[in-house]
Amino acid sequence: MTMFTSHISRQLAAHIDGELAPRKAQQAELHMGQCERCRAEREQVRFGMAVLDDLPLVEAPESTWAPIDAAFQESRSRKMPLVGQWRMAFAATVVFVLIGAAYWLVTRQSGMRWEVMRIEGSPAVGAQHIRGAGQVAAGDWIETDARSSARVKVGEIGSVEVEPNTRVRVVATRPREHRFALLRGEIRAKISAPPRLFFVDTASGTAVDLGCEYALKTDEDGFGMLRVTKGWVSFQFKGLESLVPAGASCRTRPRAGPGIPYFDDAPENLKQALERFAFEKGGNEALDIIIAEARIRDTLTLWHLLSRVEGEDRGRVYDRMAALTPVPAGVSREQALKLDPETLNRWKEELAWTW
Amino acid sequence: MVHLSDREISAEIIEACRLGDRDAFRALYDVYKDRVYSISLYFFHGDPAMASDVSQQVFLKLITSIGQFRGDAGFSTWLYRLVVNACLDAARRSKPNVTLSEEFSKPGSQEEDYARAQMAQSVRAAVSALPPKFRIAVLLRHFEDLSYEQMAKALHCSMGTVASRLSRGHRILAERLKGFIGARQ
Repeated sequence: MTMFTSHISRQLAAHIDGELAPRKAQQAELHMGQCERCRAEREQVRFGMAVLDDLPLVEAPESTWAPIDAAFQESRSRKMPLVGQWRMAFAATVVFVLIGAAYWLVTRQSGMRWEVMRIEGSPAVGAQHIRGAGQVAAGDWIETDARSSARVKVGEIGSVEVEPNTRVRVVATRPREHRFALLRGEIRAKISAPPRLFFVDTASGTAVDLGCEYALKTDEDGFGMLRVTKGWVSFQFKGLESLVPAGASCRTRPRAGPGIPYFDDAPENLKQALERFAFEKGGNEALDIIIAEARIRDTLTLWHLLSRVEGEDRGRVYDRMAALTPVPAGVSREQALKLDPETLNRWKEELAWTW
Repeated sequence: MVHLSDREISAEIIEACRLGDRDAFRALYDVYKDRVYSISLYFFHGDPAMASDVSQQVFLKLITSIGQFRGDAGFSTWLYRLVVNACLDAARRSKPNVTLSEEFSKPGSQEEDYARAQMAQSVRAAVSALPPKFRIAVLLRHFEDLSYEQMAKALHCSMGTVASRLSRGHRILAERLKGFIGARQ
């Protein structure tokens, strides 16, 4: 039997993966038996393969599907036989001519009408109670009492459940803008669309969908709570923004906008301190507790805190973040403390792996 | 390596997709979406927008070309060829690679959580810093249990080149992450 006389660096992965033919694998074994360098390199390749266990499979966001689905539907319609296409075109023309004018009168400039279905009780659209299904257009109010709830099909992008004791108005029903205004009560949104197509206005700001499922409630004074169960939501108020990922919540207040988001499983002390810090002028004592209690995952909270504290406090927040998780390349203390947008964004993208 | 149960889509599903069955296409998408997305995500340095774009390009290309799939190679091989093309094309159009920071080769802290986070971050950074042809080979092997013959078809190269790229790619990772050898043992 001939033996490999030269090193087998290029074959090592194939050897480890069992991809070498039996004869070549045997030759490789014989060579490594005598070659310390190739044995060391084999261990390197094994280690290189093992470290990849730290790369988990990541779920594709549901918003990825919408454009693919749209293209598939379009492709399907193009593939229809020519005769079928002519028949469909003729039928469509007739239907459109018949309903076009009526449709225009109903929708005018405000967009589409959405289907609304009763879930329980007798929810109302405007002054009319709905028993089965109805429709809503821009400008319509949906109202539920203590024993009723309803579901609105939001165009082609998802649905919104209107919980009991809720009053919500449909503001816009256009393809690029699906918008509600929540006066009081609670809604639960399930949206599968590219980001920034679905909005909910409240007295304390606007929830902007980034491809997600969430619950948003507010009372008549505008004190509210956003809880995200899937994807991300951005809550915005006069230039202030809180980014809330799945598993996290964010309180909202009138005239103050969104508070600082936190994970629902965060330590209770941290959540209470956060409430005092954001809305009750809790000051240094509250900040001390937040910094002390924060876990790696709570860098979500600390990252938002960075831009909402000043001076030495900002430095303390930075130092705690740096102690919890490695500061990535391209992020410096100096730039972070200056709130350089590119630096903060780069750090957020790295931290988001732990959120 | 990531092991997944439902690896290969059935011929019936593929045929239904060709005939325009939306549910069948959604089923096909569901089988592959996370692996396509994950490969794209790690290939593009954790950029979710780029990963979504590339994933969409792959499935949009699939829609227009599924009629050309002849079934003489595995569907996964064919699909991952689209993934490889999309990733390498997008990489050519985008900025140069992120370079590996010196910070990543510093020894870790004693704190266990910190060390784990540092390890995960360092692995992502090390993968990001691989040359694109090594990076895509390493990610394909990690996320999809393809044989070297299948990988060769997906990567448009010989099996010997696959073996060589994987050997070199994993050795580069090991070299850059040698500070963690004790942590993994």
